[in-house]
Amino acid sequence: MKAPPIFRSLALALVFSSLLQPAVAQDAPTITVRKSDAVNLALTPLTGAEGTAATRVLENDLGLAGAFAMTPAERASFIVTGTAAEGSLRGEVKDRSGSVVLAKTYSGSPRAAAHQFADDIVETITGVPGIASTRIAFVSTRSGKKEIYTADYDGANVKQLTNDGVISVAPALSPDGRKLAYTGYQSGYADIYVIDLASGARNRIVKFPGTNSGAAFSPDGGRIACSVSKDGNPELYVVGANGGGGQRLTRTRGVESSPSWSPNGSEIVYSSDESGSPKLFRIGSNGGTARAVATGHSYSTEPSWSPDGKKVAFTARSGGFSIGVVDLASGASRLVASGGEDPAFGANSRHLIYSTGSSLILLDTQSGKSVPIVTGMGKVSEPTWSR
Amino acid sequence: MKFSLFLALSACCALALSSCANKKSEDLYAGADGDYVTGMPLPDRVEGSNFFGSGVNRTQFPPVFFGYDSYTVSDSELANVESIARAMRGFPNDVIIAGFTDDRGTEEYNRGLGERRAQAVREALIGMGVEGGRIQTVSFGEDMPADPGSSDAAYAANRRAEFGVIQ
Repeated sequence: MKAPPIFRSLALALVFSSLLQPAVAQDAPTITVRKSDAVNLALTPLTGAEGTAATRVLENDLGLAGAFAMTPAERASFIVTGTAAEGSLRGEVKDRSGSVVLAKTYSGSPRAAAHQFADDIVETITGVPGIASTRIAFVSTRSGKKEIYTADYDGANVKQLTNDGVISVAPALSPDGRKLAYTGYQSGYADIYVIDLASGARNRIVKFPGTNSGAAFSPDGGRIACSVSKDGNPELYVVGANGGGGQRLTRTRGVESSPSWSPNGSEIVYSSDESGSPKLFRIGSNGGTARAVATGHSYSTEPSWSPDGKKVAFTARSGGFSIGVVDLASGASRLVASGGEDPAFGANSRHLIYSTGSSLILLDTQSGKSVPIVTGMGKVSEPTWSR
Repeated sequence: MKFSLFLALSACCALALSSCANKKSEDLYAGADGDYVTGMPLPDRVEGSNFFGSGVNRTQFPPVFFGYDSYTVSDSELANVESIARAMRGFPNDVIIAGFTDDRGTEEYNRGLGERRAQAVREALIGMGVEGGRIQTVSFGEDMPADPGSSDAAYAANRRAEFGVIQ
């Protein structure tokens, strides 16, 4: 049966119009820049003995936030002022009419206080949590062995956390930044350790036979998802934050790895190569049936669920490795950076930190702006980010 | 009872390993239930036995090598596995199988893949009559390469399972 001519010409027109669309290579990173999102903000240098130091930090934080266009006061929608001296920062934000929208006093070092002020500015104006007071952890080979290091989100204050002299990898910060889980080989096997960052106390919490790795704290910090191979195959498990009460979630012939929790803790996204090359799946954190998360890339690993629940970042192999983000509601997937691995979402669900091997990059997925935050530390990998 | 189930599965497994060219056969254990569906549980660890430590002989057996992103024990490696199985049936020591990968995958996935390789060799040995309770596994992923280079030959040398005989 032939279609009526009107339909045939319509179909033809559709074909032509699709041919006329600019060709977009599927693997080319697509960067969406939405300048209209930026709020005009004026930063008046902070006064006081510590004003210069605090201003420098604040300026960097507000710039990295990506939410603001820094402008002179006369064009600004909001004006930031403040005073920093003797371990105290008094910050204030006024709108154009002169109404005070934020006024708060912060204590601590000029740097810590400025970070907190920056986060309050971001949250007050945009309604989204800031990233300035967060911490990151990562693996570096600087000492000759893979060890775990911590730093501020902007790469300042790098500290070596482990000094095990074996292989220490796969760090995971708890969402509140107080604990760090990692995979260590001190026993000769791969075990999961948890360090209380304030006291330095360390416990080996997952030490089943075989390889235990890839810890991820639940949003409330009470549970840890990880890969455990004691059943004769690497499977996804959920254990208590002290290692007790292991529950197995998957039963496959493949390799399950890199769990990441949904923000309400009800689901976990992970990578499985059950059907060939590794791909992303999601499963209830108490068990259930796994569902595929289509990314458009046959090799997708290292998922990171955004804190707003809407997106999952992942590592895609397309030639080399690239960073992708898939929108869970629409299924739309795009590459946001090439030449990177192991993305971790920040508290604002907008920034990612990922590794290029030689450096860690802070990427604004909305503007496409990327800033190297850790360099010159040998091979750096597997960043994790507190919220 | 459990042990005889082991043996039955082991026989299936050995057959499947030797005949199956496909990397991940999903219905290998169709019909069985419980935890044995997807593998053969590991025995408790021999604490204090470190694969790279002094109490472990890593030179007694040659490694088993793997294809890219594969954990199938290929036909060309079976003769090596069989001779290891024969030797293991003749001495009582426990063995640690360590799995390794090249560095072309992502790191945590490679830890899983290395473990899967070690487990695949363990399953093959069990299928050849070696008692599963004597075989531990550990994965080092892409760390500890045999060849730190980035040529195809180096990658091939790094995709391996090594054997450590606990002394």
